[in-house]
Amino acid sequence: MSLIDLLDAAGLTGRGGAVFPTGQKLRAAFAHRADLIVNACDGEIGTHKDALVVAEHLDELRHGAGLMARTVHWAAHRGSDTEARLLEAGLQVLSVPARYVASEESALVNHLHGGLARPMMRRAPVVAGSTSPRGRRLPPTLVLNAETVWRVSQIERFGPDWFRSFGTAAEPGPRLVTIGGRVERPGVYDTAAGIGLGDLLQAAGAIDVAAVGLSGLSGGWLLGATAWATVWSDADLAPHGLRTGTGAVHVLDRGACPLDHVARLTGFAAGESAGQCGPCMFGVPAIAEMLDRLAEGVLRPDEVRLLHQRVGLLPGRGACRFPDGVAGFAASALRTFRTDVEAHLAGGCVAARERSGATR
Amino acid sequence: MRRADRDQEVVIDRIACTAHGVCAVMSGGAIELDEFGYPIPSRVTMSRDDARQLVRACPARALLLSRPT
Amino acid sequence: MTVLWYLSRATGVISIVLLTAVMMLGVFLSGARRSVGNRTTTTQAVHRSLALGTATFLVVHIATAIVDTYVHIGVLAALLPFASTYHRLPLGLGTLGFDVLAAIVVTSLLRHRISERLWRVVHRASFVMWPVALWHGIAMGTGNEPILRFTTIGCGVVGVLALVWRLTGSHHDSSRRREVLRQEWT
Repeated sequence: MSLIDLLDAAGLTGRGGAVFPTGQKLRAAFAHRADLIVNACDGEIGTHKDALVVAEHLDELRHGAGLMARTVHWAAHRGSDTEARLLEAGLQVLSVPARYVASEESALVNHLHGGLARPMMRRAPVVAGSTSPRGRRLPPTLVLNAETVWRVSQIERFGPDWFRSFGTAAEPGPRLVTIGGRVERPGVYDTAAGIGLGDLLQAAGAIDVAAVGLSGLSGGWLLGATAWATVWSDADLAPHGLRTGTGAVHVLDRGACPLDHVARLTGFAAGESAGQCGPCMFGVPAIAEMLDRLAEGVLRPDEVRLLHQRVGLLPGRGACRFPDGVAGFAASALRTFRTDVEAHLAGGCVAARERSGATR
Repeated sequence: MRRADRDQEVVIDRIACTAHGVCAVMSGGAIELDEFGYPIPSRVTMSRDDARQLVRACPARALLLSRPT
Repeated sequence: MTVLWYLSRATGVISIVLLTAVMMLGVFLSGARRSVGNRTTTTQAVHRSLALGTATFLVVHIATAIVDTYVHIGVLAALLPFASTYHRLPLGLGTLGFDVLAAIVVTSLLRHRISERLWRVVHRASFVMWPVALWHGIAMGTGNEPILRFTTIGCGVVGVLALVWRLTGSHHDSSRRREVLRQEWT
């Protein structure tokens, strides 16, 4: 069986958040004789699994990468431990500025070839070749998440059946989950789709769980009670409008105001726009400003409609999926934290009341 | 056999678009602008002639004819 | 002094007036502080058609100058800058200006067949072409016709005012893009 057949049989999908079938991507890469960029940036907020894979499985990574391309570049954020390890190993390192969208697929390709680390407008996937903003024709490039490349080497070694012995039929294979926030044992856990979120929370030592954020800035939220009872898989999260994404799990306790946290993250997002597309470079800061005032308790109830309208106008209107991610994140927060939103519109705060011990 | 009246898709290059708003004026309502002046849809379908005219009208060359499938 | 010579001077000054108008319309397009769809659409349409009109007047201006036997200007001098022996510098400037305009018009008509970068680079040469045309107009101003000289100088003043306006303001789209470009991306 060829490598592509093995990957097809195993059902491996990208571990960088996009969940694209890896076998299919590799087929296109071989057809175009594409170079490979291994994305070890941990670009998503709350994700630290790429660092772990590089730290503990570099040999397997190198083997996996070598199976897929003759020229391999290793992308890591500038100044990170991952970058240091890759340089120490004598590998071709692409030093990526520590910006949120800099580790996006087309941003990496552009940056590799001397351009800015910002996403490009494309008419076809970068695996088929692309055109830089300056008009240069860029070579076909396969971009794969570090964990994905590790899984490829594992599948080649242990076979598709081994891979499928983990997870669910629709979402097979072992997966790395990064658990953080108010937990006793934060870190990266090796698990698989189909595990109970409650089991993950328990493993990480979470006790007071008011809310759980999944997949960072491009994901969304679950209330604590819901999270304890939910299975961690795309199929089970779909009714909540969520996905497993990059496997980040963030725990908020009752003392933290979730709207505060959401406002801080969207404020961060506002400063991370690549500034190339109008709807994003104006829309995201506009939403962040309103969420900030909501967190402060000074957003007027008659402004809520505009807030929802602005959130609704982000998806699909940029060159990359950054505004889509922010929109999903904000919409999920407004939905899940409905009670907190109502309290804040009236000038109060549920978490503050919790902290002060006030009874309802 | 008559050719469909709306068989050419026009795609907006979101990076090239700088909110001139000419497309909104010339598309006869097919393209509306948001509060910041940017077109709301990313793709619009119209007749081949209208599409060519619209593409040439954009001062920023931010409209592209979608390749036929 | 033949009819042709008068015609050449007249079409020359008209060309400068039209060129100034075309340049200013272009400046209003690129320097607009807000985008008003109808205004932009009309300005662009006039800018484009007026540019073609200007080119026409220029061709007449050049043709009459060549055909007219009062001065010795050959066809080569009309196409290749500084190839003439008669009034070498001022005439050469005029030829240069025409060559640049021809390049701008051709690249604009073929805009969708060439790269956007090439189009922009050639179009920006209009900021060289316009002052060159004015300089040509003033330097070639033989014959002491004050109204022609004043018209040319007037065009210069109005054009410079438009350029100052261009440089002293910005559109929210360009401001935001520039703001983000100042951040770390490499």
